[in-house]
Amino acid sequence: MPFKIYGFPPSTCTRRVALVCKELNVPYELIPVSIPKGEHKAPEYLKRQPFGVVPAIDDDGFTMFESRPVARYLVAKYGKGSTLVPDPKDIIATAKFEQAVSVENNHFDEPAGELFLQLVIKPMRGLPKDEERVKTLLATLNSKLDVYEMVLAKQPYLGGDILTLADLFHLPWLYGLTEKAKLDLVTSRPNVARWYQEISSRPAWQAVKDGA
Amino acid sequence: MAILKLYGGKQASCTRRVATVLHELNVPFELVEIDVMNGAHKKPEYLKFQPFGQIPYIDDDGFILYETRAICRYIAAKHPKSGLIPTDPKSNALFEQAASVELTNFDPSASKAGLQLWIKKMGYTYPTDDKVIADHLETLEKKLDAYEAILSKQRYVAGETITLADIFHLPYGVYVTYDGSESDNIMNRASRPNVARWYKELVSRPSWLAYLDGVKTTTAY
Repeated sequence: MPFKIYGFPPSTCTRRVALVCKELNVPYELIPVSIPKGEHKAPEYLKRQPFGVVPAIDDDGFTMFESRPVARYLVAKYGKGSTLVPDPKDIIATAKFEQAVSVENNHFDEPAGELFLQLVIKPMRGLPKDEERVKTLLATLNSKLDVYEMVLAKQPYLGGDILTLADLFHLPWLYGLTEKAKLDLVTSRPNVARWYQEISSRPAWQAVKDGA
Repeated sequence: MAILKLYGGKQASCTRRVATVLHELNVPFELVEIDVMNGAHKKPEYLKFQPFGQIPYIDDDGFILYETRAICRYIAAKHPKSGLIPTDPKSNALFEQAASVELTNFDPSASKAGLQLWIKKMGYTYPTDDKVIADHLETLEKKLDAYEAILSKQRYVAGETITLADIFHLPYGVYVTYDGSESDNIMNRASRPNVARWYKELVSRPSWLAYLDGVKTTTAY
């Protein structure tokens, strides 16, 4: 029974799950939930995901949602030998991983996501950009990436010496902001540039970057 | 072995979250107060430990860690029998789902409304915006309708036993109740009896009650 992803191919969070499936060579079936048609708010879908967002998954009857926990579940179940999540017995490596995952969620995700909305989604829908808001968001994101530059000067990855989910979680927004919004976030930050170049050239990301 | 040091503020929201979990697990700790009012958290000596310039962080016998949920997970990992992070694979996945729900569906609006409501309640002279509070509370009302659906089928957010995912809703889950009365507020509505039941249980826990007047160094339990 293939791993089922109920999602929308271009969606950020759907691609995040598909990326980890590719990393672990887990074949998946994408069952489309159309955002433009509002299928993510339909009662049948809300039974799967009560907050009405994509994706949700069904792994041979085990159902869950939220892309980052799904990624963790995939590694736990299918990632034998994978170092994308540290061994829980290594309490220190796990703590540093959790710190990095929390940083992505608390410092990066919100300004990055809203910038993408302002600079890519709104123009696509013919809506005007909020220039003041864009200025504020850019200032915030830049200040956060300045910290990333300092952290990545001392260690190769956000969680330490090994690539983990904490690094990969950044890909959908970073790709969108650099390739679609054409923002230059890395030229002045050689360590962020090195790190982003490495994670974005992984075959798993190349396979799903434009659609799960 | 040196006592765990919690660098933060005695009334600060994220410091309280960590203190609640330390108390749940009976971990002795020393609160080292950071003078946030005078910008101590933005000075180079502080940024060496917490590069984003926020409180809190911990020093556990030389091991430095920041981000409150990472700190709480670290403490719970050192006390695996507590069950605050389930280890069975499916229970763990559902715990991670609930912890992510708190982060993506609860915290964004609860923290923004909650912080301002707390500032008003404490009487601090810091600008607040009633429209911002109202907008975030409106978003949170809809999110809590989804919580009601979840909590109508199970006792806690991750399943039948309490986990860190429940505790992460503190303190902002309390601060958002400052808009309204004790019997009718966003966490205590007649239309959401299961949310009300879950919330009441959470705030009756000794770990929350211990620091109602502020976090303090705790060496004995």
